[in-house]
Amino acid sequence: MFAIREMSRRKLQFGLVTGVVILIAYLVLMVTGLGLGLNQLAGNALLAMDGDYFAYSERSNLSVIRSQLSEAQVKDLSSAPGVKAAAAVGYTAAAIEYQPGEVETGALLGIDPGSIAEPAVIEGRALTARDARALLVDRSWVNLTGTGIGDTLLVQVGLSAEPFEVVGVVDEGSFFFQPAMFMLRDSWRGVSYRAVDQETPYASVVLLQGDGLEGASGPNWEVVTKDTAFWNIEGVSAQQGTVDALRYMGLLIGAMVIGVFFYVITLQKIALLGVLKAIGASGLYLTVQGMLQVFLVSLTGTLIAVGLAVLTKATVLSADTVPIAFTTGAIVNSTVAVVVAGVLGAALSMRQIGAIDPIIAMQQQ
Amino acid sequence: MSLLNLRDITKSYGEGAQRVDALRGVSMAVEAGEMVALVGPSGSGKSTLLAIIGGLLSPTSGAMLIGDRDVARFDARQRSQYRRDQAGFVFQASNLVPFLTARENLLLVGEFGGADRAALRKRADELLEELGLTDAAGQAGNRLSGGQRQRVAIARALMRDPLLILVDEPTASLDSKRGAHVVEALRDAVHGRHKACVMVTHDLEMAARADRILEIRDGLLQAHEPAMQPASPAPCIVDPCE
Repeated sequence: MFAIREMSRRKLQFGLVTGVVILIAYLVLMVTGLGLGLNQLAGNALLAMDGDYFAYSERSNLSVIRSQLSEAQVKDLSSAPGVKAAAAVGYTAAAIEYQPGEVETGALLGIDPGSIAEPAVIEGRALTARDARALLVDRSWVNLTGTGIGDTLLVQVGLSAEPFEVVGVVDEGSFFFQPAMFMLRDSWRGVSYRAVDQETPYASVVLLQGDGLEGASGPNWEVVTKDTAFWNIEGVSAQQGTVDALRYMGLLIGAMVIGVFFYVITLQKIALLGVLKAIGASGLYLTVQGMLQVFLVSLTGTLIAVGLAVLTKATVLSADTVPIAFTTGAIVNSTVAVVVAGVLGAALSMRQIGAIDPIIAMQQQ
Repeated sequence: MSLLNLRDITKSYGEGAQRVDALRGVSMAVEAGEMVALVGPSGSGKSTLLAIIGGLLSPTSGAMLIGDRDVARFDARQRSQYRRDQAGFVFQASNLVPFLTARENLLLVGEFGGADRAALRKRADELLEELGLTDAAGQAGNRLSGGQRQRVAIARALMRDPLLILVDEPTASLDSKRGAHVVEALRDAVHGRHKACVMVTHDLEMAARADRILEIRDGLLQAHEPAMQPASPAPCIVDPCE
C-alpha cells in the first residue's frame, strides 16, 4: 500500500511527526492521569463505600464538611421508602501526630461496626463496638508515615489530642486529599464535638442502599447519588474543570500541530500527487492514503506515549509525590481523543489533496 | 474507424482582451498500432493538445472520441478512470515515485484500480523483462539512470494495458544515444502491443522514428507527413551505456 511504503521509506520525515505526536499525547495522558489521581485523593474513600446514595442535611449545599444530621433525621431518612440499608457516617479532618513532633493530616470517618459503611480490613482486625480508642488506617497512611498496627497516634481536633491505637489497615484511599482513617462513630462524635449530648450531630452524612432514592428529601435532609456526592466534594469540580481545560488545550494543540505537519508534507509532495492523479489515481484513493498516514502516525505516537506515561508512573513518580493514576478507560479515551484530534487537524491537508490538479504533472518538466 | 479521433478541438484561456487561443480547431486521428509524433515550436499548443488527449484538460469545444465515447464530455471522475485504464502517460521527467523501486512504481498503477495482485506482479515482471529492466527492478526510482527511468515510465504506462500511450518529450533530458533507445523501446511497445501513441517532441530526429509526424503551429495542425525510418535501428533495448 502506497501510504505504508512511503512511511517506511521516509522514516525521518514521518518519525519527526510521530515524535511530536508522542510529546503531545504524553502531555495529554499525564494531565489526564493527574486529574484521575487528584480525584482519587479527593474522594475515592467515598466512592469505595458500599452504597448508592448519600443523604445530607438540607442547608449543607451537599458539603460533607457542612452537613450535620441529628439522630432523628438519620432514623427518619433510614426508614424512607426505597431505602434497603443505611449507615451514618461522620467526617472530620484531624491533625495526627504519629511521632513526637511529626504531624500529618487525616480524614477521620466515624462508622458503626457491621454497617454498610464499614471498610474491608486488609491487615489486622476490624473495629468492634468496644474499640472506643481504636483506628483503622488506610494503606496510604502506612506508606506515608511508616506507622502500622499496634502504633499509637495522637488525634487532634481543636486544642486537645487523644491517643488512638491502630488495629487494622484498609485500602479505601483518601478523602479530601487526606488518608482515610476509620473510628467508631461515637468516638468520632467525642473527638469532633467534645461534649456529646442531644444537640451533638449524630452523623455528617448517611450512606444509603436502595432504589430510586435520587432526589428524595425529608425534614431538613436530601438524598443524592454517590456520583453527585463525589462531584460536590469541595474543589473536585473546579479541579476537574482545570484538568479538562488543560487536556482540551493539549488536544487542540495536537490537532493544530499534526494538521500543520501534514499540510507541509502535502505541500512538499503536491507535484508527486499531481503525477499520481495524472496516471490515474483518484482523489479518493490519495485522500484515503493520506488519512491512513495520519491515522497510523497518530495511533503509533499515542501508543508509544501510553507506554512512556505508564513507565513514568511506575518508575519516576510515586503516588505520594505526584498523584497520577491511570485507568484502562482513561487511556483508551485519551488515545482515541489524540487520534481523532490528529485526523481532524489533518483534514485541511486532505482537502488540499482533493484539489490538486493533475495537469501539474506536465508543468514540472 | 480510428482508435482516437479529434474533431475541431479548441482550447482558450482567459476572456476578452486577455483571451489566448492555445488550440484553434484541431482535427486528427490515430490508429491502433500507430505512433504519431507531434512537433512544433514552444507555445504552439502541442502539450495542451497532449493534455487534452490524456484527459488532463478539457477542451473549450470539439469532440475527442475514443471508439464511440467522447472523452471531452467526461466529468472529473470519468476522466480519472480514463487516465487510469485507457491512457498511459510517459512524461519528460519520467516522474517516477522516487522512493519506490522500479517494480513498485509499476505495481502502484495497478493498485489504483484494485486488480488482482498476483496478476499485477506477473505483468510488472513481464514488462520489466521486456524493457530490459529486470536487474533494475529493485532499485529506487531516484537511483536509476535517466534512460532507465524513462523505460520504467514506459513500462508503467503499459501496466494497465491502455489503448493510448501519451508521451511528452521523452528524450529531452537524455543524450541522443539514450534517447534513441528509449524511443525504440516505445516504438516496439506500441507496435508489439497494438497501441495508439502520440509523442510530443522538439527533437526531429526522434520524431522521425515515429510512423507519422504532425506539426502544430499557433494552435493549428500544419501538415501531415510520413515519418522517416530510423537510419540505424537500435540493436537492443537494453542501454549499454547504463
